Amino acid sequence: MQAEVIQSVKFGIISPEQTKKLSVVKLSVPDTYNEDGYPIDGGLLDQRLGVIDPGLVCKTCGARAKTCPGHFGHIELIRPVIHSEFSKIIYMLLQSTCGSCHRILMSDDEIKGVKDKVKGIVALEAQNLTEEEIAEHDEEIEGRKSGKSILKKIRSARKCPHCGAVQDKIKFSSPTYFYVGDKKLKPDEIRDALAGINSDDLEMLGIDPNVSRPEWLVLTLLLVPPVNVRPSITLESGERSEDDLTHKLVDIMRINQRLAQNINAGAPQIIIDDLWELLQYHVTAYFNNETSGIPPARHRSGRALKTLAQRLKGKEGRFRYNLSGKRVNYSARTVISVDPYIDLDEVGVPFDIASKLTVPFYVTLWNIDKARELLSRAAYPMILNLISIDGKRKRVIDTNREDLLKEMKPGDILERQLIDGDIVLFNRQPSLHRMSIMAHRVRVLPGKTFRINFCVTPPYNADFDGDEMNLHVPQTLEAQAEAKYLLEVQYQIFSPRDGEALITNNEDGITGMYFLTKDDTRLTKDEASYILGIAGIYELPKPEKSGLYKGKDVFSMLLPKDLNFETKISGGTLKIVNGKLVDGVLTKETYGRGNNKLLIKIGMDYGTEVLKRFLFLSSKLSDAYVTFIGATIGVKEYITTEQIEKGRAELLENTFKMIDEKIEQYKARKLEPLIGYTRRESLERMIIVDLNIAREKAGEVLIKNVDPANSAMQMARAGSRGSIFQYEQMSMFLGQQATLSGGRIKRGYYTRRVLPHIVPGDVRPGARGFVSTNYYTGLSPIDLFMHAVGSRGSEVYKALLTARSGYLYRRLSNALQDLYVERDFSVRDTSNNIVQTIYGGDAVEPLSVQFMKMREKESK
Amino acid sequence: MAGKSDHEIVPVHEILRLKEVNELLQEKHIALENLPKIMESDPQCRKLGAKPGHVIKISRNDNGNAYLYYRVVVEG
Repeated sequence: MQAEVIQSVKFGIISPEQTKKLSVVKLSVPDTYNEDGYPIDGGLLDQRLGVIDPGLVCKTCGARAKTCPGHFGHIELIRPVIHSEFSKIIYMLLQSTCGSCHRILMSDDEIKGVKDKVKGIVALEAQNLTEEEIAEHDEEIEGRKSGKSILKKIRSARKCPHCGAVQDKIKFSSPTYFYVGDKKLKPDEIRDALAGINSDDLEMLGIDPNVSRPEWLVLTLLLVPPVNVRPSITLESGERSEDDLTHKLVDIMRINQRLAQNINAGAPQIIIDDLWELLQYHVTAYFNNETSGIPPARHRSGRALKTLAQRLKGKEGRFRYNLSGKRVNYSARTVISVDPYIDLDEVGVPFDIASKLTVPFYVTLWNIDKARELLSRAAYPMILNLISIDGKRKRVIDTNREDLLKEMKPGDILERQLIDGDIVLFNRQPSLHRMSIMAHRVRVLPGKTFRINFCVTPPYNADFDGDEMNLHVPQTLEAQAEAKYLLEVQYQIFSPRDGEALITNNEDGITGMYFLTKDDTRLTKDEASYILGIAGIYELPKPEKSGLYKGKDVFSMLLPKDLNFETKISGGTLKIVNGKLVDGVLTKETYGRGNNKLLIKIGMDYGTEVLKRFLFLSSKLSDAYVTFIGATIGVKEYITTEQIEKGRAELLENTFKMIDEKIEQYKARKLEPLIGYTRRESLERMIIVDLNIAREKAGEVLIKNVDPANSAMQMARAGSRGSIFQYEQMSMFLGQQATLSGGRIKRGYYTRRVLPHIVPGDVRPGARGFVSTNYYTGLSPIDLFMHAVGSRGSEVYKALLTARSGYLYRRLSNALQDLYVERDFSVRDTSNNIVQTIYGGDAVEPLSVQFMKMREKESK
Repeated sequence: MAGKSDHEIVPVHEILRLKEVNELLQEKHIALENLPKIMESDPQCRKLGAKPGHVIKISRNDNGNAYLYYRVVVEG
C-alpha cells in the first residue's frame, strides 16, 4: 500500500467546543480517592479517565491497562482565565484593535493595499522566477519585509480609523495582567474584546480564524489529561503519592469550587476578585511553573512542581531526553584505566559488567549438545536468557533451568554472559575518525574500570584522568565477523589519513627504548633475563666476551629473524641486519608515532599481526627497562651551572648590544630599510630576527654545557617528552612573548608603553615583552607580567581554535562521509555523481604506500 | 588578448566531441548529470564557446602527476 504523503501540517488553538468533544467526563470534585481508597467519581482520578492498574477495565473504552490509551476530562472554570503562554499575542491583539468597535486599527484603503501586495508576492512565488526577474518586482517584494513595521505602526495608533474612537493605552504586566489606564482588565472583558475581532481583520494580523479564534486564548474550559499522563505511585508503606500535575489540578479545582461558592453566596467583589486572581495563578503555574512574574508552586517538601512546560523543556525534557535521546542495549560504560600487561587488542572488562552483558548463542541441530552444556551451568559463564524460536524471551533462573533444558530446540537463542575472547566494540567520544571505534577482545578482570593498553590511547585520544568509554557487544555472527576482520586494533595501527603509525608506544615507553638501545648500554645476565622475562621472552641473546649483554641485542630478540632494514635518522643511520639492530638508537623518530619507517617496514613485510605483537612485547620490554633503571627527572635537571649562566649573560649582552646599535642607527636615520617596509617596520623586523637568532643560539649553549646524562636532555633527545626549547625556558630565558597578532607586545598605556615602568617609545627587547629570565632563577615582576600577557593570549587562542576547528572538521566529515572510491578509482557519492575522476588526482591510498620515496615526495 | 585564462598554471581545457562524451559516459556507467559541473560563464567556457550540455576535458597536472578531469557545462 502506498502511504499518503503529508502535504502540510497546521497548528491551531483548541476551542471550548473541541475540548468538550475530547472530554469524556466533567470533573467537579477537587480530590482523588475517598476514604475507602476508591477513586471518586468526578474526581481527578475518575475511572473514566483510563486505567493504569492491572486487572481493572476502563469505564470508557472497556480495554485493560496498557491497551487503554487514556481519555481526557475537563474542568469548567467558573470565571475565565488567561492562558499565560499566549499573553504576548493577546497583548498584540488588544493593542492593534479598536477598544470600542474591535476593528483592526488600519483604514480600509491600507488593508486593501497590503492585501494587493501579498497577492502580488504569492503570484510571483508561484511563477518560479529567476533572480533577475524577481529583482524587477522589487517594490512588491518589499512588502514581504515591511509586515513588521506595519504592525508596529498600528499597535501605536491613536485613533480608530473606522469608528473614530480615541484609543486608550493598554499596559501589559507579565504574566497575565492588562490595564487600561489604572483600571485592570478582567479576563472576561478581554475575552469579549477578542471575540469582537472579525475574521478578515484576524487574517491581516497573521491568524487563521478557521483554526484559532483569539477568544479561545482565554480559557473557560480546562482540558484535563488522562491518568496515564500523571500516574500515581504507591509507596511501600501503602501510601499513595500523586503526580505533580494531579496536585496542581487539585489546586485549580479547589479554588474553582471556592470561587463558585462565594459567587453563589453573594460575597463581596474584593473576595471574588482575590479568588479569581488565585485561580489565574494556579492555571498559569499548571502550564508553566517557571513563568516569570509568579512564584513557582512548590511541593510539600519545598521542591518546585514539574508542570506541563517543565515536562517538555530542556535537556531532561520529553524532546531531548526521550525523543532525540535513544538508548542502546548490550552496551556498557565506565571509567578507563591503563594495563600494560594486556594486549593492544584486548579490553579489560570488569566482572560486574561481564556478568550482565550477553552474547547470543544460536542453537542449531549440530551444537545442541554444547548448548545444553551451557544452559545447565549455574555459575559465571552461564545463560541469562533463552529466546525461543517464536521470539519470547525467558529469564533463566535456578527454578526453571531444568524445564528450559527440556524445552530448548534448534532455532532458539541463548544469551550467554561475556567471557574472555568475545569480540566487542570499544568507543570514546567524540568519534572524530574511524579509529574512534575499534574491536577488542574481552579480558574479564577484577575491578570496576575498563582497562586498555597504553599504546591504543592515541586513536581514541584518551587519557586516564577520569575519561569514560563505551563498550558494545555485537549481537549477530555477521556483526562479530565484521568487527573482527575490519575493526580490530591491528588493522588500525596505520592511520588512513596519511599512512603513519597511530598506535605506537609513547612517553616512558620511548624513554625506555632509547636507554636500552643506546650504544653503551650493557646488561648483566640477571638484568637481561629479568626484562626479557617480563616481555615474555625466555631466551637470551649471545653475550659479549665480557659476559655482558648489549642493550641493542636484547632489543633485537623482539625483531623478526630475517629483517633487514636501513634508514637515515637524524644523527646517523638505523641499521638492522638479519633481525639484529647493529646501528642506531630507537627514538620517537624510529619507534614512536609519526612517519615511522621501522614500524611501516615491519607492518608491510610481516603483517600487522606481527607488528602488533612487536609493539606489545617491546612496550613491556621498554617499560620493564625504564622502571629497572629508575629513570626520573626533577628540578635538579634545570639547575643552572656557572657556565650556563655565563653563556646566557654573554648571549643576551651581545644580542642587546646589536639591537641597541640598530636602534641608534634608526634614530640617526641611517638604518637601511628592508624592501617593502617602512623604516620603523624594518627596525621592528630586524629586532625580531635578532631575538630569534638569540633563541636558537640559546639551545646551542645549553647542549654544549649540559651534562649529556641529564635526564631532561635525554628525554628531549629520545623525543618522549619535552624539547630543547622547553629546557631553554627553564634554564636560559623565556624569550619573546608574542601577542595574538604575532607581533611583540606593544599596547597598554596611551603613551605607547606596556607598563608605567617603561619609558615611552622604548623599543628595546625588555620593553616589548622579551623575557630574559628563566623559570629556575625566577622572573622579575615586569617579566612575569609580560609572560602572563603571552600566556593569556595563547590560552584564549587555543580555546577559540579548538572550538572552531572542531566544528569545521565535523561539517567536513559529515559532508564527505558517504563518498566512496569506485573500481575505476573515481570518487562518487551515493547518487553515482562523480566527485573526482581519480581519487586525490593520483589514486594513491596512504595506507598502501609502502615505500618512503612516495611519502618523502609528498612531504616536500 | 592575454588574460587570466591564458596563465601557465591554468590547465588545458577543451570541448569533448560527442562521440568521446558517449564513450566516457559508457565507460563510467553514468549519466551526463553525474559529471562535475562547470558554469557557462566560466572564463574557460567563454573562451571555448562551450554551451550547456558540452563536456569539457581538463588536462590537469599536479607536480608532474598528469590526469584528466571532466566537467559538464551548465547554465549560469
